[in-house]
Amino acid sequence: MPESVAIPPRERRAILRRAFIDSLPVLMGYTTMGFVAGVLLAAKGDVVLAPLWAFLTSALWVTGTLSIAGVPEIAARAPLVTFALLTLAVNFRYSFYGFTMLKRWQRVPFLHKAYLVLMLTDENYALEAACAYHDPEKNLRYCTVLSVLNHSYWVVGVVVGALVVSVLGHLVDPAVIRRYTNGMEFSMAALFIVILTDQIRAMKTGRR
Amino acid sequence: MKDEILYMLGVVAVGFAVTYALRALPFLLFAGRSRSLPPWVERFGNLISPVIIAGLVVYAYSGLAWRTAWPYLAGALTVGLQLWKRNPLVSIVAGTLLYMALIATCGCTTYRTLELDAKNPAVRVSTKGVLFGDAYVAPARVPEILADYDVPRDRVIHILLDPDVRDLRPARFLMACLRKGGYTRPVLVTARHAESFVTEKKPKAASSRRVSPAPAKKTIRYKGANE
Repeated sequence: MPESVAIPPRERRAILRRAFIDSLPVLMGYTTMGFVAGVLLAAKGDVVLAPLWAFLTSALWVTGTLSIAGVPEIAARAPLVTFALLTLAVNFRYSFYGFTMLKRWQRVPFLHKAYLVLMLTDENYALEAACAYHDPEKNLRYCTVLSVLNHSYWVVGVVVGALVVSVLGHLVDPAVIRRYTNGMEFSMAALFIVILTDQIRAMKTGRR
Repeated sequence: MKDEILYMLGVVAVGFAVTYALRALPFLLFAGRSRSLPPWVERFGNLISPVIIAGLVVYAYSGLAWRTAWPYLAGALTVGLQLWKRNPLVSIVAGTLLYMALIATCGCTTYRTLELDAKNPAVRVSTKGVLFGDAYVAPARVPEILADYDVPRDRVIHILLDPDVRDLRPARFLMACLRKGGYTRPVLVTARHAESFVTEKKPKAASSRRVSPAPAKKTIRYKGANE
């Protein structure tokens, strides 16, 4: 992680704390939604080595929509062209996210930027767009820490879901977990609502 | 197994390539001119951001029980708390807990969408009894269930008749129950009819004004006292 020398350690800890607190709703959402995606892939995807694919898809795609919508295509062994078209359709919204970050990440080194681009997910982008740090160094550090946190939540959720089905499928009934987490998916909607509320307020008061 | 692994590697690669290309698109479009961005890009970015988030709210709601009042009540609490306290975590946790409590206590754990057309009849009559979805129900309960789903009374209610049903009396009793409950337009359909309907490219919109497209000879209309 370059450029961190400019930020004193105390500030860095504060940024980490801020990013972690901001990421808590995503922690709830990503682990539960990732769990569902992992369970789906292992239970309905009809593939060998499901936890491996769960890891690769979650780490490289970082998209819940495709991880869930793609499972029937995988089960049907759909042609890769079909899969590409499905990906294009469900993930088209991602192509807008970068526009707001063009200027902010102008001077970020290539590989670092490549990782930030990978993490332009719905929730991560929403938090990054709402980031209150105006100093470019702090903002970049916040975005990076946040991306790593959210990325790890997602990977852990998906892999654990796939592991539960393929290794402990006969011991743990996913329905039980689902019953106790029923409704938790609202935290995603709530996160977007909060961000939209703040954005509209900022527009009205003329800040930002 | 080797084919399977190769296929999955292909899936991983394709999903990654397309998703990453979409995310990188703005950066690729303006790669050469990163030093001086046109001002419209910045304006566009600032304008598009709330629009995207609003779209995401709609998208997130589509995965919730959006036909009930609960997500809107929870959403109102979230907005209210955010405007008042300005603490995102408090707003999100309170809204989520309210939503979880509402769907847990108000009996809507899993929301099912009713598609009331000949392709997906909600009610089915087998030789053993009357089914609503996958569960057997008392015929007298069916109007209540439909009312729970806010199905309008003037809606055509398709009742799927299993092919091996010879005795029409249970089906006629069900139709009588529906009429008594206010649903005056029950229609019996056979599996053959239901399948033939699939091939028709008609919109599946659940419009209450839509009349059954079924030809009269294929359906048995119940003629009751109200008609």
